[in-house]
Amino acid sequence: MKKLRMPLLILTSTTLALSACAGFQTNNSSEGETNDDGKTVVDFWSFWGSELRRPVIDKIVADFNASQDEIEVKHTYSPWGDIWTKELAAIAAGNPPDVVINDINATAIRGQENQAMNLSEFMDDGFADKFYPELWNATLYEGDSYGIPFNTDTRVLFYNKDAFEEVGLDPEDPPATWEELEEYAAMLDVKNGDDYDRLGFYPLWGVGYDVWLLNANGENYFGEDNNVDNVNINTGTNVEVLNWLKSWRDRIGENVVNSYQAQIDSQQGNPFFSGDLAMLVQQPTFYTQISEYAEDLNFGVAPLPEYEPGNGHTSWGGGFVAEIPEGSSDPEAAWAFIEYLTGAEAQEYWAVENFDNVANIEAAEAAAESDELSEEGQMVYQMAVESMENTLLTPAPVEAPGFYNYINPHVDEFFLGSMTAEEALAQAQADVEDLIQKNQ
Amino acid sequence: MEKKRLTIRRKESIYGYIFIMPFIVGFFAFTAGPLLFSLAGSFTDYNITSRMDFVGVENYQSLIVDDGLFRTSLWNTIYYVAFSVPLTTLGAIFISALLNQDVPGIRVFRTLYYLPAVLSGVGVYLLWMQLLEPGTGMVNLLLGWVGIDGPNWLYDPDWTKPSLILMKLWSVGGSMLLYLASMQGVSKSLYEAAEIDGASRWRQFVHITIPMITPVIFFDVVTSLIGGFQIFQEAYIMSGNGEGGPANSLLFYNLYMWNQAFENFDMGYAMAMSWILFVIVFVLTLINLKLAPRWVHYEGEEK
Repeated sequence: MKKLRMPLLILTSTTLALSACAGFQTNNSSEGETNDDGKTVVDFWSFWGSELRRPVIDKIVADFNASQDEIEVKHTYSPWGDIWTKELAAIAAGNPPDVVINDINATAIRGQENQAMNLSEFMDDGFADKFYPELWNATLYEGDSYGIPFNTDTRVLFYNKDAFEEVGLDPEDPPATWEELEEYAAMLDVKNGDDYDRLGFYPLWGVGYDVWLLNANGENYFGEDNNVDNVNINTGTNVEVLNWLKSWRDRIGENVVNSYQAQIDSQQGNPFFSGDLAMLVQQPTFYTQISEYAEDLNFGVAPLPEYEPGNGHTSWGGGFVAEIPEGSSDPEAAWAFIEYLTGAEAQEYWAVENFDNVANIEAAEAAAESDELSEEGQMVYQMAVESMENTLLTPAPVEAPGFYNYINPHVDEFFLGSMTAEEALAQAQADVEDLIQKNQ
Repeated sequence: MEKKRLTIRRKESIYGYIFIMPFIVGFFAFTAGPLLFSLAGSFTDYNITSRMDFVGVENYQSLIVDDGLFRTSLWNTIYYVAFSVPLTTLGAIFISALLNQDVPGIRVFRTLYYLPAVLSGVGVYLLWMQLLEPGTGMVNLLLGWVGIDGPNWLYDPDWTKPSLILMKLWSVGGSMLLYLASMQGVSKSLYEAAEIDGASRWRQFVHITIPMITPVIFFDVVTSLIGGFQIFQEAYIMSGNGEGGPANSLLFYNLYMWNQAFENFDMGYAMAMSWILFVIVFVLTLINLKLAPRWVHYEGEEK
């Protein structure tokens, strides 16, 4: 037995040593990769794998590859749930892709953590002006951009014109304020015992409470410059808005809300398609569902109503950026592709084919007039472009990553009735302040 | 003669090591390294890409002293384990006892009860989200027929964890199979002897079946305890946006850890969390092993 120990020890230590090599071997990637034709290969990751999106992005990649003979972009699809953890592992291993599509709201944090490259050195003056300023600002960390906005979204009000006409409302005059919204909704209700044959409106389908807070305040919790010195969660306005939202639930009744919600979740059974729901807040892309499941629906779109006259039709959006992970083998080539991807031509193609909001202003405006869209499509897209002017993002400040995880649970408690709005917001405010203090 | 026997023994142990080699290599290459790395990382502010500075026990300290969400997540997980482990164990024993009967068509029943264990993952969770839908779901519909006004299941913080436990009970097929196999292995002569002595079916079950399958019960309790602490997917999928809502009632330990690591990139913190969980599970498993000799019966074991 003793004699056996020695070889075992050697074996074990060899294994350990080998595994150590594997662990710390890093790909020396500064040279860049080339393919057989001598073109630089740019490894591009996206999560666009659906029937709808994949052909569009593949066509954009193919167009770029055909447009020049130095760079060959290779598109890899990675599912939504995996792509960013995979990317992170690849960055840590020193062998990341060259361009990745990532969430716009955490771009600054990724810049701070050295996950994404500072892109300022690549761009010309005036490059930033091509994009909606709200989107562009969300990509900045200490004044430098770490990702170029690609697509985005906003929230608008869809309404049923026939229902408006039926109850004597002007179908070309959608509600402009919260007060009108409530008034019209009550007129549009068709009650049948405890149930509804038609419901006018319910504010928490399609969007969360936070969109209404944003709409009322005209800014997010951290003020216009997303500065954590001021945390405006526990405010009089917010208390009032939460109570207003809850009053809808109390009026309509828990059961009605739940059963409508289930139908909305099922997509094709959406009560808006059947006319059982007269107004609904949604993203403009909701139009693609209408045209698929309810072709004949006579509907209109309007900006989100404003809290008080003159307060502004503030809406909420998110979006995605194209960025170069730290350690990319050829950032110059990657940048050339990003420039193409976020340029007017590719963006307009994406916008029209996917009916998606894009970040490039010129492309978005061109798409709204594109002949490829139907008349209704143009109307919705035009509204989307207009709404973009009033659309705010809620990127997480670097000192408060994941701040909504500290607010949502308390607001949940409020809607469930176990806390008052004041208590819930006071706790949320305290928790977020703690979080900021921890990260400062 | 003496010498020769030793060589055989030595040969045998060499064979033994060769047989377990794949595991040893895999363990050192893929498990031990990362394990030690995460232990070291738990004392740093590692963020995966750019930072790894030693911070001492700061991660552990702020977890235990300051972090309310850490406590919530630990409490949720313990609640889940405390109910799901005994209930699924009892459920599996109960069903396998039924399926151990000699009635016509028993194979069909066995297949039916095992089926949920074959289906797994996200599909099942989405299915259950529909079943548990308060207004239109099948569960509340059935409860309605017998006059019970069903709860709001996944929308009510008091009912979210029971919802998951209910779902787990539906898929006890996996461990049921283990119990069934072990029950089939219990010698018929024991039951015959008991019958001659006039023991009822119930007494036979309590005094013969249960003791004879205690090794499997032990195995099942240990593995499902460890598995229970690792609950993640269910909460990630079934709490709507993956945040653990409503009101943090589905914020399980691993979900919070995942958020810290991959949403907030606070990997050092997450590593510290994983070590705290490791210690908890390790201690519980030790207690289990210590208690085992008192109730687990191995046939042919020398006392």
